[in-house]
Amino acid sequence: MGTMVTMSEDRRAEGQSDQSPWDMASGAFIAWRAGDASAVDELVAAMTPVLWHVVRAYGHDRQSAEDVIQATWLGFVRLHQTIEDPQAVASWLITSARRGAAAHARTARRAAPVEDETLHAVLPDAESAEAIAQRDDEAARLWGAVASVDERCRKLLRVVAFMDRPDYQSLSQELDMPVGSIGPTRARCLAKVRSALMGGGAR
Amino acid sequence: MTTDDDAALLEELRAVWTTYDPPPPGLTQTMIAAVAAADLDAEWEMLVLVRDSAHEPLAQVRGLATARMLWFTAAEGWSMEAEVDGDQVRGQVLDLDGDMGTVEVTVETADGRSWTTGVDEVGFFAITAEPTGSVRFTVRIGPTSSSSRWVEL
Repeated sequence: MGTMVTMSEDRRAEGQSDQSPWDMASGAFIAWRAGDASAVDELVAAMTPVLWHVVRAYGHDRQSAEDVIQATWLGFVRLHQTIEDPQAVASWLITSARRGAAAHARTARRAAPVEDETLHAVLPDAESAEAIAQRDDEAARLWGAVASVDERCRKLLRVVAFMDRPDYQSLSQELDMPVGSIGPTRARCLAKVRSALMGGGAR
Repeated sequence: MTTDDDAALLEELRAVWTTYDPPPPGLTQTMIAAVAAADLDAEWEMLVLVRDSAHEPLAQVRGLATARMLWFTAAEGWSMEAEVDGDQVRGQVLDLDGDMGTVEVTVETADGRSWTTGVDEVGFFAITAEPTGSVRFTVRIGPTSSSSRWVEL
């Protein structure tokens, strides 16, 4: 996990599943910059699922989420030269996706005001939840608990869960929370999930 | 609750989201294709190094030993000559139609420093820089920009 992987041989030799997507991303990015043209595919493969969760946390439907992710990658192609620290490529992508998601949410809201309740209904995918519930009771309980907490908490937790190094400064602007309150809010939201789990009746 | 517990719970939540709201099946492939297409476009716009005095021993014999001459062409049809001599980078943007007032030339070193200047009405530019190691040129014309690959000095 914590080992630095910079050479592309190492990157390939290593069982990739052992590595976090963020480590895989920086390894691939470094290799790509060093001239390994195919490494960018690995970078995209490692980070696209992470970006999916980050963007979906903002309540976008699946098609909009895909649009935001594509815009993020196109921006990356245009601006990757400005990324000074290759180790930070994952953070750069996540930040860019979050900004895109937040901006998309603002324009979408201007175009068609969406009631909070509608957004609420969009997030937990009740159908697949039930389908999978039968297979994995523990995960289902957790999913139910997450679904029961408020939208703000769910969004914060989902973004933070998929962030490499949570950057509270920029998060605070997008989530419209003071910087100092994100840590405590995160803890409070996790506590809510826990108590929903204990309560059993998650919904 | 300790932060360790919080981290463990966040990790479980990550697994739950991964299970319950996975990316659509072809998403990664779609993005790989999008990046490949965009990257090709970007390369198409690049400044291509077509001649380099370092590969022309005759130039050194003629007394240009301290100066390095580089010739680039851009896909749009214009070209650029640059001469790197000590801390002076001089050159000219050629065959470019349009307003020279919007053209900017940037010299960048691999350690992250850069120097930018405009060009005069016939495309001449002169920059005092510290070009050492590898340098890269970027020509910005209004909203578009074309960069060269890194050139080892």
